[in-house]
Amino acid sequence: MIKKLSIAVPGLLLVAFLLYSCEKEKAAIPTEPIKEIDGSWKIVGAQRNGTDMINRFDFSKFRITFSGNTYTISNPVPFIQEGAGTWSFDDASYPFKMNFQENGGNTKSTEIQYPVKNGKRNIVISFSPGCAANTYQYTLEKEN
Amino acid sequence: MKSIIQNPGAAINRLRKYLVMMLLVLVMGCSMTIESVIQPSVINGGETLVSTLHVNITTNAEQTSKFMIAILVPKMWNAREHATITFTSDITSGPQKMTAIPAGTPAPQADGLDWPAKLAATIGNGGNLINDWEWVAYYSDADYKVAANVEINATVTVSIPTTEDNISFKMGYVAANSTDGLSGTDRYGSFFPGCLRVNGTGDLIDFCNPQLSTIEPRTSLDNDIITINFDAGVIANPLSSASEVYLCASGITTDGQTIDACAAIDKTKLSSLGAGRFRLECWPRDFFAVPAGKTLQRLEYFFTNADGSVKVGYGGGASAFIYTFNCK
Repeated sequence: MIKKLSIAVPGLLLVAFLLYSCEKEKAAIPTEPIKEIDGSWKIVGAQRNGTDMINRFDFSKFRITFSGNTYTISNPVPFIQEGAGTWSFDDASYPFKMNFQENGGNTKSTEIQYPVKNGKRNIVISFSPGCAANTYQYTLEKEN
Repeated sequence: MKSIIQNPGAAINRLRKYLVMMLLVLVMGCSMTIESVIQPSVINGGETLVSTLHVNITTNAEQTSKFMIAILVPKMWNAREHATITFTSDITSGPQKMTAIPAGTPAPQADGLDWPAKLAATIGNGGNLINDWEWVAYYSDADYKVAANVEINATVTVSIPTTEDNISFKMGYVAANSTDGLSGTDRYGSFFPGCLRVNGTGDLIDFCNPQLSTIEPRTSLDNDIITINFDAGVIANPLSSASEVYLCASGITTDGQTIDACAAIDKTKLSSLGAGRFRLECWPRDFFAVPAGKTLQRLEYFFTNADGSVKVGYGGGASAFIYTFNCK
């Protein structure tokens, strides 16, 4: 009897191991986080018609502060909008465009890039505040 | 190395083969020359500029390609939309049509650059001093098969409707084909017939001659960032040897209000670039503190020394430089 059991028990354990060892894997689908931009941003790069302007014009005091869906501007420079208002991404997870609506005004959209440079999140926006033929590209970097 | 030393005859044969192959590579394809360009030196703004190019093509190998003609023009003419180019030749019958090559179309053997970018990189700006020019390239609508070792003459007619702008500009022309592109100096021909004067309306936009003062971008509104340049060395003037130069300017709004900014302060001081060249970056709306709801129509400006005792205007004289804000 003992001899039979010594054969049967390991056999049952082997069957159980084989039955439960091939469990279906539940693949976790990664989700892209929603882009959070709340805070104060400064200009760290500026081009006019492809010419580097960052050291030629004083952009140092400009700040744009995002809070929820609103933004404010201090020490303005030519920008997509002149005054405060609301903003939105075309897609919160995969943004390609950013919309700025000045309070009481119209909405202006800009294509954006959202790279990380030197370990800091940047937003690169392009727009034409004067003649449409003159394009400006600013690189914004979040403070702190 | 060992085999060459052991068998000098084989080495000489191999060298001869390489030389023949190199020679073949050099002589394959078409060489192109623009022998002459007939172009008026003066026209009136709004007229159509008609130029005639005489192009000589010599082939060294059979080839099937499109014919390419490129023109260097001021952007304001929008030649891509309005210019027409046709040609006649020894191997074709009747005028042959050409069509503007869409921007972004890669030029042959140009590392992915499109024709305008390749032309700008290889041929340049033709000596135009204001960065508001463009190359526009055209392909023949048809492909042409040419035999080896033949000479072909083509006569190209370029018609470009001009605008009312008052300009002087150095036109440029390039002839090439869709196979060789600008891959070698013998594969294309270029011609620069000199400065064309277009008598139009408004301030003269002089691409040909160095200017005492220019403003970049050439077209802008008061909400752009503009660069005011002063090149003291262009002509003799009271500030030719100045080490500090200031801007003395008036902004005139569309409703006639004049806003002055003429004090010699940091805001009006131009940065020295050396060799008598100075510049000032300025956001006119902020610089002149333009009231909300108002727009600047033009600038009238001079350059001064620190105490304001010396004032230099247009042509080095006493009249103000004038810059009109517009997007044309």
